[in-house]
Amino acid sequence: MAEPIKLAYFMAVKEGASYLGGLLVTDTSGIPLDFRYTEPITPTRLQGILYGKSLEPHLKEEVIQKTLLKELKTPPDLFILSATELAGGWSGEAKYPVLAVQKSQESPLAKVGEAFRAGPRELLLQVSEGAAPLRVMFAASVDAAAQEQAIMKLLEAGYHMDLAEPLERVSAALQSLVVKEA
Amino acid sequence: MFGRVKDAVADAAETLRRAFAGLNVVEAAPEPFEPLSHGSEGLKAEGRAGLEPPATLCREMGLLREAVEGRALEPFQARLCDESGWARWGAEAEVIRMTPLEGGRVSGIAVPPLPRRAQTAGRVEPPVRPSTRRWAEPLPAPGSRRLDPDLSGAGAKAGLDTILSLAVPIQGEDLQHLPKGLWMRYSLQLVRGTGENVRNLEVLGLFRLPRKGVADLRHDPARGRILVRLEAAATRAPRAPFILARRKDDGALVSCFVEDP
Repeated sequence: MAEPIKLAYFMAVKEGASYLGGLLVTDTSGIPLDFRYTEPITPTRLQGILYGKSLEPHLKEEVIQKTLLKELKTPPDLFILSATELAGGWSGEAKYPVLAVQKSQESPLAKVGEAFRAGPRELLLQVSEGAAPLRVMFAASVDAAAQEQAIMKLLEAGYHMDLAEPLERVSAALQSLVVKEA
Repeated sequence: MFGRVKDAVADAAETLRRAFAGLNVVEAAPEPFEPLSHGSEGLKAEGRAGLEPPATLCREMGLLREAVEGRALEPFQARLCDESGWARWGAEAEVIRMTPLEGGRVSGIAVPPLPRRAQTAGRVEPPVRPSTRRWAEPLPAPGSRRLDPDLSGAGAKAGLDTILSLAVPIQGEDLQHLPKGLWMRYSLQLVRGTGENVRNLEVLGLFRLPRKGVADLRHDPARGRILVRLEAAATRAPRAPFILARRKDDGALVSCFVEDP
């Protein structure tokens, strides 16, 4: 029997002067298998000056993401993050495909599983019958072959779950943690 | 008006005429100018016997003292003396006789040897060099501090309870795409599990749920999904097909897990 697919949803948010991130691992039904989050990191003013504009990417990619991935016992099959994070030039780990999924307003494609390439790293993917296709964006580190494998896994998971929804849960969980910490 | 002016002018003329009418003119003869002449004495020359040398009065000049106070020099004043200079010069003449040269003694003169090495002279002494002194109180060395720019201080926490407190949407499977035999098998198990007549049941969906740990369940008919609240046991429980149906007579929801073949 094949190993069940694990989807990792990563999100890092800034609350006030602090940064914290969360990593949710789900199965193909969207049911949580694991959830890890970081303690809020509050860089000092001097650190903010020394790091400059690289502070936020460094915190999210090098500090928060790597810390959370170290905690995982088994690597995920797909590493999914928000389209905003990916558009910001994500250069994280390349051990697994890094991609972003986003609901689109496009009209449905002809059949489930059909993909429409909008660019070398962006495509529209029909994952469910009659629904709007999903916009999928891959990180620069994901080559064409890895993209094809990732698309197959997305179709398999998308049959059972809303692929974009778990990020909303991660965001809500982080918000509740911030309130709890305060 | 012109008449009055005329009268006034006439009165003034008459007044002037009367005022100068009684003056007498006297003629005076001028005296002739006679120049007066005065006699002057002729020039006379006095003879003197012999030349008299000029005598000078020497006065000592006071030294300037301390170059601060200056004294004005008195001017030279000539004074006549009665002494005859020429006579005196002749009387006081003195004849000086010079002694002839004589043979002197001969003595040896020791000639000092020439120096073997020329000495350099006129060496310019260097100017006075400023002496260096050490500052007794140097500035204290600034202490260096290290700021660790490493931000890797974030610790990860397990937050499964937090994420499980949020409802998990479970999407229903498309019943139209299920194999007919499989659907018949599921229907039988639904009737057996709920005890309802199959004609009285309306199937809402087939969902894959954990067999354990489902704490709450709500149906979202608009999007064809259910929202479940899970417990920690749900993460390790196996997934099984779950059928949700509604009774047609009273609208109550019934459900059961079915077995995969």
